[in-house]
Amino acid sequence: MRMSDSRKLVSDDPPWRELAGHARHAACLIAARSGDRAALDALVTDLTPLVWHVARGHGFEQTIAEDVVQTVWLTLLRNLHSVTEPRALAQWLITTTRREAQRVRGTGSRIAPLPDDLLAQFPSEEGLPELEMLRNDRDRQLWSAFRRLSEKCQELLRLTVLAGRVEYGGVAEALGMPRGGIGPTRGRCLTKLRDLITTEGGLS
Amino acid sequence: MSPNDRQPGNVPAGREPAELGVADQNALIAELDALLDIADPVPLDLMDRVRFALDLENLDVEVARWESMDHLAGVRGSSGPSTITFTVEDLTVMVSLAPATLGHRFDGWLVPGGPHQIEVRVDGHASSTTTADQGGRFVLADVPPGFTQILVHLAVPNGQRPRTVVTPTILR
Repeated sequence: MRMSDSRKLVSDDPPWRELAGHARHAACLIAARSGDRAALDALVTDLTPLVWHVARGHGFEQTIAEDVVQTVWLTLLRNLHSVTEPRALAQWLITTTRREAQRVRGTGSRIAPLPDDLLAQFPSEEGLPELEMLRNDRDRQLWSAFRRLSEKCQELLRLTVLAGRVEYGGVAEALGMPRGGIGPTRGRCLTKLRDLITTEGGLS
Repeated sequence: MSPNDRQPGNVPAGREPAELGVADQNALIAELDALLDIADPVPLDLMDRVRFALDLENLDVEVARWESMDHLAGVRGSSGPSTITFTVEDLTVMVSLAPATLGHRFDGWLVPGGPHQIEVRVDGHASSTTTADQGGRFVLADVPPGFTQILVHLAVPNGQRPRTVVTPTILR
């Protein structure tokens, strides 16, 4: 398939324009399969933040997370026709990102490979942005506490935030996290976050 | 909202700090929502790099992954010579980059060697192509700077499925 040729065929009013969330992802994926470049670009725009935050949730520094994001999208290219459930594309990307993160962690000499269960217990501070850019004490306190959560909690809370946004409508359900519903794990992560903020607040 | 609004002080004395109630959880999530894009934004040009990497004529590609510690130098575009190593299953590609008149000289080595075709795509320019020698070595004397992607079109025996290996977008 020559994607560049198909650009001319893209109409001014793509069928997914009015759609949001998983319906839009599915429409774009199906259009991309038939060579629609704009549809693939729309997916990149919509879903890169999701891939980014899953990668960052694994504690990778920025440049490594960037490589993971690119690798995940290239992997989708190869699997464009074999993603079985287009409406669950967000879930496919999350799963692929987690797998890629494990692979990078397993092979890279940059990050010491540790067993999963051990990693889950460790607060991960590696590679998260410095705090200078944050506007006020509360933001700094919150982010500093957030970066001391376990990777599992960081990823879960990042996904919770994204899943609550309009452009990810339907994603929450696909992830088994109904909107507004607070699962026990999420509750534990948020309680831990509150406790870390409290500790920090008490010290400053 | 001050942090003190959610202190254990809200909990009756003598008990463990309780798990957050739903309202407090939602408030904390809302705060994170406002903070996430400021504290950890998607890098400005990452989506452009992804779009460039995906803008391929042939979609049936194998993804090469960076191998060496040096990869940051290669990806990040330092001024001096740098070496990039990437691998896919049964192929390793090493590329040494050095400043040239226009952009960079690419000195490469494929293992195992063979007359594989090398294509270097640069955003806004025609691709530079060459063929590796039997030992797997190849040279591209002067590749313009910009978003760059290396493609290796593997020489396969007649009748076998053609294979193309691609890298993510490199910044040079």
